[in-house]
Amino acid sequence: MNVGFIGLGLMGRPMALHLEKAGHALHLWARRPESLAPFMDKAAAINARTHATPAEVAANADVVIVMVADAPDVEKVCLGVDGLASGAMPGLIVVDMSTINPNAARTIGLRLAEKGIAFVDAPVSGGETGAINAALTIMVGGAPEAFEKVKPLLEKMGKSVTLIGDSGAGQVAKACNQILTGVGVLAVAEAFNFAAKSGVDPAKVREALLGGFAYSKILENHGQRMLDRNFKPGFKAWMHQKDLRIVMEEAHRMGLMLPSAAATAQVFNAIVGSGMGENDSISALMLLEKMSNPSG
Amino acid sequence: MNIGFIGFGTMGLPMAGHLIKAGHVLHVWSRRAASVDSLVERGAQCCASPEAVAAACDIVCTNVTASADVEALAAAMAPGFAPGAIHLDFSTIAPSAARRIAAMHASVGVEFVDAPVSGGGLGARNATLAIMWGGKAVLAPRLDAVFAVLGKTVVHVGETGAGQVAKACNQMIMVAAIEACAEAARLAAGAGVDFAKVRTAMLGGSAGSRVLDVFGGRMAARDFAAGVEARLHHKDYALLMDEATRLGAALPVSTAVWQQLNALMGQGMGCADTSSLLRVLESGATQAAR
Repeated sequence: MNVGFIGLGLMGRPMALHLEKAGHALHLWARRPESLAPFMDKAAAINARTHATPAEVAANADVVIVMVADAPDVEKVCLGVDGLASGAMPGLIVVDMSTINPNAARTIGLRLAEKGIAFVDAPVSGGETGAINAALTIMVGGAPEAFEKVKPLLEKMGKSVTLIGDSGAGQVAKACNQILTGVGVLAVAEAFNFAAKSGVDPAKVREALLGGFAYSKILENHGQRMLDRNFKPGFKAWMHQKDLRIVMEEAHRMGLMLPSAAATAQVFNAIVGSGMGENDSISALMLLEKMSNPSG
Repeated sequence: MNIGFIGFGTMGLPMAGHLIKAGHVLHVWSRRAASVDSLVERGAQCCASPEAVAAACDIVCTNVTASADVEALAAAMAPGFAPGAIHLDFSTIAPSAARRIAAMHASVGVEFVDAPVSGGGLGARNATLAIMWGGKAVLAPRLDAVFAVLGKTVVHVGETGAGQVAKACNQMIMVAAIEACAEAARLAAGAGVDFAKVRTAMLGGSAGSRVLDVFGGRMAARDFAAGVEARLHHKDYALLMDEATRLGAALPVSTAVWQQLNALMGQGMGCADTSSLLRVLESGATQAAR
């Protein structure tokens, strides 16, 4: 299949390579040409062609995958000047794997539908490691027919691929994922800081708690990285801040009360504001340590 | 002076009236022509478009709801403005939107001033508004022709957008205080104590405040008719929390208040007064405890 891929960052690059390895021809465009260089390496002999615009990518592809930062970027790639919509062949399916506002996804989907282009939102969880190991969790929203057509591609990048519902439903699931992970990481950081300030070894606390009702993957994995004081990303704090912003925007739009997510979002504001945005989101622990009595 | 005015809600209409009373020639435009009838009867000139208002005036005031509304009006007026004219915006919008509009106007030599107000419908009617403005300080003497007629406290806060930052601070403090009143009222009622008495006692002490007086009074009287429609405060919270995210500033209390406002909206009380935050707290309580 001819597969377009736009957004060749930390996540996008390994994801695109999995598709190529599975026998698909890649059609690439990048805002920064240097992102294309690894695909053009003669020695690697990657089946990929580069294009001057997203429109050209669309003209050569059956499916285009988009993996960029935020809703305005997705909108520009899809509907902007020389965007996918202006070059698409009939029946093109655009799969947006970025994390954006569910309502923005629905709007972009409707505008592409007017031009006969199917749009599927398919945000992922699992981070760079998940992308490299083709072990992502992929949450999909869109028409079942379009989903069936792109499912084999998604299965090359992810371990778990689930159609959640209509357009936007994948982004809603991702937002739920970010509520749970955001609040969860902060809860573990608070518990560890509480233990340490009480003169108790957080490592022992973690070990004991793993066997009980407070067990979670976050306590296990993120907790261990906190104990190792390994703050390298993983998942960058500023991205978690962005995702919680999306959650809170939607809560505002719908008149929903999300007290824990709201409080957590403020902690992420403080993490980013104190210059730790490029660190992993477990830097919540460092922030709590900094804001608590350091000698206490 | 020839002064334009666009936006005739609870605030705008009495503000426009004061400008006529002060002897200015007022040029008005409204999408719904009927909303300017009372002003035209008093001598205001009705214009066919925002552009026509801009063409006739030295200063054009706008007082509408959202950032997008002000931006749309600014674009519509742009071809009409003479160089050196002032677009004076009283709306509460995002500081970043104010800066964007200012840059657009500056490219053709038009001045922009953000001058959000505090004081509500009552302050607008009594010409006792607190006006906090951002823009070039040299414009102060020209702006005074308008400000002196509408407000009691006029403060030049800083450059463009600074007025909106001040307004965001104003909303944070005020609505958090309204929520505190609501929680106190809830606690008093839950304990079987009359909040009206509690309020009267507190007004004389360290917890006394305008909010306790006005909004606490509405809670005590269970008079939830707006006042200030809660949906407007809710809108302002989206702006200020967005700004907090952009700046990387943690606002833990404001975000909790914001969630109470979200619940208020979700319960369909957006057009009632913000003192309805009390009813949000009651909605989570058993009937017996109310």
